[in-house]
Amino acid sequence: MDPPVYYSKAEYIETDTGNKVSRRATIAGPQNIILGGKTIISSGAIIRGDLRRTGAGHAVVISLGRYCLVGEGCVMRPPYKTYRGNFNYYPMKIGDHVHIGANSVVEAATIGNHVEIGRNCVIGKFTIIKDCARVADGAIVPPNTVIPALSLFAGSPAHFVEELPESTQESVEAMTKRYYTRFQPLDR
Amino acid sequence: MAPIRDKFTIHSRAVVCQDVELKGDITVGAGTIVHPKATIFAIAGAIVIGSGCIIEEGAIIVNRRKEVMRIGDDNLFEIGSRVECPTVGDFNTVSTRARVHHTVRIGSYCSIGAGCLVVPTEDEFLDDYTVIYGPAAERRTWSGRGKLQEADLRRKHAEYLREMLPKFNRLRRGEGS
Repeated sequence: MDPPVYYSKAEYIETDTGNKVSRRATIAGPQNIILGGKTIISSGAIIRGDLRRTGAGHAVVISLGRYCLVGEGCVMRPPYKTYRGNFNYYPMKIGDHVHIGANSVVEAATIGNHVEIGRNCVIGKFTIIKDCARVADGAIVPPNTVIPALSLFAGSPAHFVEELPESTQESVEAMTKRYYTRFQPLDR
Repeated sequence: MAPIRDKFTIHSRAVVCQDVELKGDITVGAGTIVHPKATIFAIAGAIVIGSGCIIEEGAIIVNRRKEVMRIGDDNLFEIGSRVECPTVGDFNTVSTRARVHHTVRIGSYCSIGAGCLVVPTEDEFLDDYTVIYGPAAERRTWSGRGKLQEADLRRKHAEYLREMLPKFNRLRRGEGS
């Protein structure tokens, strides 16, 4: 078994559904952010829920699924564009079992389930990442890219490298669950 | 070195979030937007930012020189970019994680791609419409096509942010903050 990853209990806030959110993360517009449960938001992360779609009513800006990890120093902000002459930010949807490595910048439109994004990546605006894909460390994904299911993308600009095995779904699921159980508080 | 004297002049129509690190003599022009977690550091000389600029989260603007650092109008500094240039013209884009050294002066309508490093050892001036892209920081000249559309997008973006940011973030006002 892997050793536990300890965090100081005072730093993280745990919700009823098991989300663990660092107090050192910058979360703007929390009323527009949905966390699916058992999701970890590490310290130094910036999540911009304030950049919402204009219009009346309640708007979800960023939704994260279950067992997600937002690494240290990550920036997650919704993408923007003008459509029919109107400027707007568009919501960002992230599936279950998604790990995002430290210091990555994510401006994707959609990220599927069981996706792994490495460290120091830049995911351009309106990128669509399908299920079980992987983005290697340091990759720079240009805006509007579509990353197909079960593919590994790497480099600058990011391009297809290889296909991933069909067991990726199970292995990523097991990995994200294991990480969540390993992420334990430490009283000091 | 003498300690840095803080002096912020923020235009009443500028939007500067509370969670921004400012140091030294900084002037922010009308309609400029500074997102939370950005850093503006005037270590030696002052920094003067024009109107309609957008400075996103994690962007770092540093002036290490004695002279005043002048940033023109309608520039966009994206997430995590680092700019140390003594002069920046108008309508430039510095993309995510790009880094521009203090030896470079930027003209107008330039765009620097995501993750590019522009670190020449000798002083250099980037001509108008220069585009720097890719991992090896290659260069091309932009034909200027779609310039109006780009300008329009930038203007609308700034307009949107001016309206939305104050609803969710606390703002900083000039002098005494």
